Amino acid sequence: MRIGIVLPSVPAYSETFFVNKIKGLQRHGFSVVIFASSAGTKEFHLSKFKLAPKLKGSKVSIVFNSLYILCLSFVFQFKKSKRLYLLDKKDGVGFLQRLKNIISSYHIFSEPLDWLHFGFGTMVFNKENVAKAIDARMAVSFRGFDIGVYPLKHPSCYQKLWTKVNRIHVISDDIKELVYENGFGGESEIIKITPAIDTSFFNYEKELHLAKESRFVTVARLHWKKGLVYTLEALSILKSLGYSFHYTIIGDGAEKERLQFAIHQLNLEGNVTLKGKMEHEDIKKALEDADIYLQYSIQEGFCNAVLEAQAVGLLSVVSDAEGLSENIINNKTGWVVPKQSPKLLAEKLLEVINLDDEEKQKISKSARERVINQFNLTKQAKEFINFYE
Amino acid sequence: MPKPLKIAVYSGEIPSTTFIERLVEGLCSKGLLIFRFGLKKRKLDQLEHSFHYTYSNRLSKGLNFLKYSFLLLLFNVNDKRKLDNFIKAQLKNSFLLKVKYYPVLYHKPDIFHLQWAKGIADWIWVQDFGIKLAVSLRGAHINYSPIANLELAETYKRLFPKVDAFHAVSKAIAKEAAKYNATEEKIKVIYSGLDLKKLEFNSKSFNSNTSLNIISIGRDHWKKGYAYALDAMGLIDDQDISFNYTIVGVDNNEELLYKRSQLRCRDNINFVGHLCFSEVMQLVRDADVLVLSSVEEGIANVVLEAMALGTLVISTDCGGMNEVITDTKNGFLVPVRNSEALSDALKKVSVLSKDDYLELTQEARKTIEQQHSHTQMINQMNDLYHSVLKEALCE
Repeated sequence: MRIGIVLPSVPAYSETFFVNKIKGLQRHGFSVVIFASSAGTKEFHLSKFKLAPKLKGSKVSIVFNSLYILCLSFVFQFKKSKRLYLLDKKDGVGFLQRLKNIISSYHIFSEPLDWLHFGFGTMVFNKENVAKAIDARMAVSFRGFDIGVYPLKHPSCYQKLWTKVNRIHVISDDIKELVYENGFGGESEIIKITPAIDTSFFNYEKELHLAKESRFVTVARLHWKKGLVYTLEALSILKSLGYSFHYTIIGDGAEKERLQFAIHQLNLEGNVTLKGKMEHEDIKKALEDADIYLQYSIQEGFCNAVLEAQAVGLLSVVSDAEGLSENIINNKTGWVVPKQSPKLLAEKLLEVINLDDEEKQKISKSARERVINQFNLTKQAKEFINFYE
Repeated sequence: MPKPLKIAVYSGEIPSTTFIERLVEGLCSKGLLIFRFGLKKRKLDQLEHSFHYTYSNRLSKGLNFLKYSFLLLLFNVNDKRKLDNFIKAQLKNSFLLKVKYYPVLYHKPDIFHLQWAKGIADWIWVQDFGIKLAVSLRGAHINYSPIANLELAETYKRLFPKVDAFHAVSKAIAKEAAKYNATEEKIKVIYSGLDLKKLEFNSKSFNSNTSLNIISIGRDHWKKGYAYALDAMGLIDDQDISFNYTIVGVDNNEELLYKRSQLRCRDNINFVGHLCFSEVMQLVRDADVLVLSSVEEGIANVVLEAMALGTLVISTDCGGMNEVITDTKNGFLVPVRNSEALSDALKKVSVLSKDDYLELTQEARKTIEQQHSHTQMINQMNDLYHSVLKEALCE
């Protein structure tokens, strides 16, 4: 089986999800090609990869390059180009856009494929007919933002996709629901495959010692959807009640100023550390140094960081945003709190802090076991092989 | 007759924000000579007593540079040399600095009034040439920029003690600036002034039986706290209060679009992009209540305008807002970052009687007339300038 995966950039090795998916498929004898818009990482030996034509620079060079690629596609990939052109025409795509679509898909034409799999919903635009043009089947993954947020700004953006796609991959049941809410009418099969983590990397059995000072941690981009401001507001309630704690946020992003101001205004300067971006190895250490993992997101696909925290044996308190309530079973492997309510989060944190040690150990253990059994790479690899077969 | 004062009102761009343009207009009418330097964004009529020395494209920058190099060489070669040495020591593009600085050096205003505190390191040099430096303390530049940017905080701490006078838009911001070593005696609180003749009070016949018409106005920025306003809308919807909510100034913010999509009452919430001043004022007039959900403000002008027009205001207690609004007296004041308190206030407004509504809004108008008239602002600013120069004479 020959699988082509379309991604925004060639996955870095830290992006375990894609790396492991690729490895799993290869072990099974599948061949994998990555089609990326940008290189991202310089060295990528895992599989073959091809970069989309870059159309940047001055107008002259864009026009020149476009014409050059267009010539190449008509000389070397005449049949596929023509098919794409005609399929797009049938869909009522304008003439210029039809040519543009040929140019931007040229790097895909030369690979013989059984499946063309778009790694995110948002990768699919203007490429809805490419799979058919190259005689491959078409798969799309939906992971959260692409189906939860993007269509709000671009209503009906997937309308064309639904009739073309052969199989849809979602990472949680909530995402599946969102696919239906966005106009999908059951035209093809939807398969849920949850993310997975390298459970051997996070092989660590933690001694929970929730001492005088609680140690909270979150690993997240500093993005509005991660709900970090609400988290800080909840912690300021704990502080006003006289609880002593420290909260570490690992990650960087656009919302830094907003968070810094919130920390200042909520008088949490001595209680919160913004660590910035960290290497995977260091994240693991930071997790091991904490007791309670917080993921109080406003919007979330599934969240690998929560899986990793559980694997390390942390107690996880998360919001009920999309996939998180599947990631954590409330009261069994952690706690799920309605999102966007600092008061409710603070109440839950107090409850967790005040649990007796035995109960804490029990939750930590079941979380760890569940992640190891259900969210491991071997299981995920198998599911993906079935997905294509 | 004494020579009129020469004041440079500097914000970097011409035209500047509405309130800076209003300030210039008022100062000119007081007989001060107002010098304006910087980048010309579009054509602006020169008022009597106001003088523009601007540049726009590369060509005009070049011409400007040549003109002032020549004039300075001819009439003030020593100062030019001194300034050139200063420019050489900077890490920035020296041509651009010369384009920016030469006209100021040549025209030598008595006072250089910097509108945005962030630029202080670029302009502290004027003091070496006998020009007094006044700095305005406005919103973000004091309230959060130096918190996120520690280097800026250090710059403030180092340079604020040197400034000849500060204009603070609120008492709260004056206090905040003191943290960065601004000398308290040099800070004068001058409230923003409105042209009240243009903002006529409108006695509304508020009706608690119809759906509540709520509005917020402000740019698309996290400090406006719209997320809390949307949470509050969700809460009043849960209590079956019927309402319409419009945010003006935001039309494609992902976070707000997402939050709205999660609400049952999403159809009652509208986002409208940028509108011109008169359109905004019309919407304020039409609304029953204006909500300011900010986490940070100097004093929000739009609140002052709503109070002048007779529209009831619910505001968070941030920055200097409590210097304008007294809770339940001339509006409602709620804690920051608290959507429940905001929804409670909305609920209170929704059941107000027509008379109570009118009493609150009349009180609000009175506050604005007493504290935020244009004349008052201009007089106080004029006093500030004179006192700076008087002090200089005494020294």
